Amino acid sequence: MSEFDSAGAVFTRQPKSLAALMEGSAEQARLWRPEELGAIFRHQMSAPILVDLGGYDTAAATRLKKLSEAQSLLLKSFSDLFHHPAPPLELLELTKNFAKANMDHPASSLPNEVATTLYYASIAAALVRLDTRISRLKDADLHRGLLWTSEQPWLNEPTKQLLLQAAAKIPPPAGQGGPPS
Amino acid sequence: MSSEPAASSIFPRTDWAELGKAAEPDEARLDRLIRTYWAPLRIFLVATFPSLKDQADLLLQDFAEDKILKKGWLQRADHTRGKFRDFLKTSLRNFVLDRLSRVEFKRPPVSLDELAQEPPAAQAPSEEFDLTWVRTVLAQTLQQMEADCKNPAADQPRRGYIWEIFRIRLLEPVFNDAVPAPYEELIERFSLRSPTDASNLLLSAKRIFKAHLRRVIQQYAEQDAATAAEIQALEEFIARLAKRD
Repeated sequence: MSEFDSAGAVFTRQPKSLAALMEGSAEQARLWRPEELGAIFRHQMSAPILVDLGGYDTAAATRLKKLSEAQSLLLKSFSDLFHHPAPPLELLELTKNFAKANMDHPASSLPNEVATTLYYASIAAALVRLDTRISRLKDADLHRGLLWTSEQPWLNEPTKQLLLQAAAKIPPPAGQGGPPS
Repeated sequence: MSSEPAASSIFPRTDWAELGKAAEPDEARLDRLIRTYWAPLRIFLVATFPSLKDQADLLLQDFAEDKILKKGWLQRADHTRGKFRDFLKTSLRNFVLDRLSRVEFKRPPVSLDELAQEPPAAQAPSEEFDLTWVRTVLAQTLQQMEADCKNPAADQPRRGYIWEIFRIRLLEPVFNDAVPAPYEELIERFSLRSPTDASNLLLSAKRIFKAHLRRVIQQYAEQDAATAAEIQALEEFIARLAKRD
């Protein structure tokens, strides 16, 4: 058994600890602390694309493998994808859809902030690298979303610059501020 | 637990492999339930009959051994009416009164009239009974979860990691005020491939905990609806106590 006797601890701790165990074990309880978002985002950026996207859309897994290795591009991670000079459009679209599914899902295994950043980064990469728009958001909403995401304190500099460059390509809205809708 | 049955007890040691068997004979089931919930039952017995404090363990042992009680006892519990915990308390109370009325105690320490005049269990002892019951349920749940996760025969890969991540992310912080192991440490320790992988591991741990909690309660509440109601009742009770801390 482990070095910590949790079953024994149950009999000696205050009721508030027992309540915290019950609350914390709920699936809807927040998995990660806000101060961990930076580490989670960095991990996401370095994660193999196939691990997440292959699991999200198994039918696309084989195609993804070919895409990510096409023309010796060697797109192994999301960071490789976003910062490649000519990333495959289909891969960016799939990444956007994967991120959106995680943003909208109440039981998503990806923190909403990280999923949102992945979503806007894929749109930004298409805009900046391929001059192509893969989002149907209105200009104002897209601009606001790109800026809001770029302001997250845990974001790394290359992704921040990518988001700002993309925002610069969108006509600025009349009013600014607030999180993306 | 401070009031475990003696090592020489007639009750078998808990065999986790037995858990989950649906058609367990009444006799074995009663023995196991009373042994498992010995501590809260003892608290109830002493609170209800303070003058029988010294005989509490003996009476509980007799309660478990009682042949008449075993015969169809669990079937008499109407799970749609009231909690099993209350049924168990009533059964124990009636058993003690019946035992005393039959003068099986050669020299009862107090008269039946005197016993009948003892004040009914006040709120505090009842609360203490429920709290000890919750503690027992949670301890059983954690023991089973740990054994399950560490079972080398389990075919789920990385099952051992599930207990470890649950321990360092939830149990140690909750019970020992420890700082949860930082995310970066988890990546190394559990060879996590992505944040989704990490979240799935932690979510699996929570689901396994809940599954074992349900299974422990199902041992006495039986039907799914009664189990769900019991989980909710225990959660509400412990949350209410926590607010007073």
